[in-house]
Amino acid sequence: MQGFIKTLFGDKRTLAVTALSVLVAVAVLHSPASLAVGMVLPLCLLAGAAYLARH
Amino acid sequence: MTAILIATFLTASVEWVEAYTIILAVALSIGWGRALQAAGAALLALAVLTGAGSFLLTRIHDLAILQFVIGVFLTLFGVRWLGKAVARGAGLKKLHDEDAEFAALQARADIQDARAAWFIAFNGMLLEGLEVWLIVVALGVQTHHTVAAACAALLALAAVAAAGMMLRKPLARVPENAIKFTVSAAVLSFGSYWILESLGYVWPLGDATLLALFVFYLLGGLALIRLNNYRLNAAKVV
Repeated sequence: MQGFIKTLFGDKRTLAVTALSVLVAVAVLHSPASLAVGMVLPLCLLAGAAYLARH
Repeated sequence: MTAILIATFLTASVEWVEAYTIILAVALSIGWGRALQAAGAALLALAVLTGAGSFLLTRIHDLAILQFVIGVFLTLFGVRWLGKAVARGAGLKKLHDEDAEFAALQARADIQDARAAWFIAFNGMLLEGLEVWLIVVALGVQTHHTVAAACAALLALAAVAAAGMMLRKPLARVPENAIKFTVSAAVLSFGSYWILESLGYVWPLGDATLLALFVFYLLGGLALIRLNNYRLNAAKVV
């Protein structure tokens, strides 16, 4: 069961990185700079991957 | 469709190689018959999970919600694999070593016990297969190609099994990290594409954006590897 949950959600850091990235994307999408969200989400996720690589 | 099949095949190849190492170690202890029986039972459990997962996801009739749920799961998977691949590529973490994994399994005291060894094989196959299951269900349901994705995963299993039967030793020369790196970029592309589409964003290039995202994650990942490698070497010099 633990393996199943870990496969679906990853660890706390992975969850935090994904949740924060999506939240930032939602915020940008509802701002005047909404067109930039196509770059913002991938950049957030790449930054998240960099963080996960070091932790 | 082709991208989905390639991503599924590559993901499955990496996971089946790891599962094969476990099955091989168990087979040398309790025999091939019982080890393959455990692997078969795990595959059956995965097939049931695939059916159940597909059934549950197809109950979601709102396309935007379905896209968002699948996009989030793919992103969770992709960002985790990209982080690992960058860490291993940059030397922050040791590369996955099938020979060392095999030696560690053989050194386990409980692998000599028939019942315990059976469960080691079953759990190993099931846990490695869960990531394949996630990709098959997530990519398959969203694109209505679950059967084709499952076939790609089974084809990967057949390829690994054939290589294993020929070599009869851990498949240590498979470039696991390079494959994981490529797959993570592809999976993240699908994940971020579907998340934003479900939130109402219209991608300027349409479906062609997927290729642009794939290139972005690949190049971004490579840049992260070089940056971390540079930092690591600089720290060694100091």
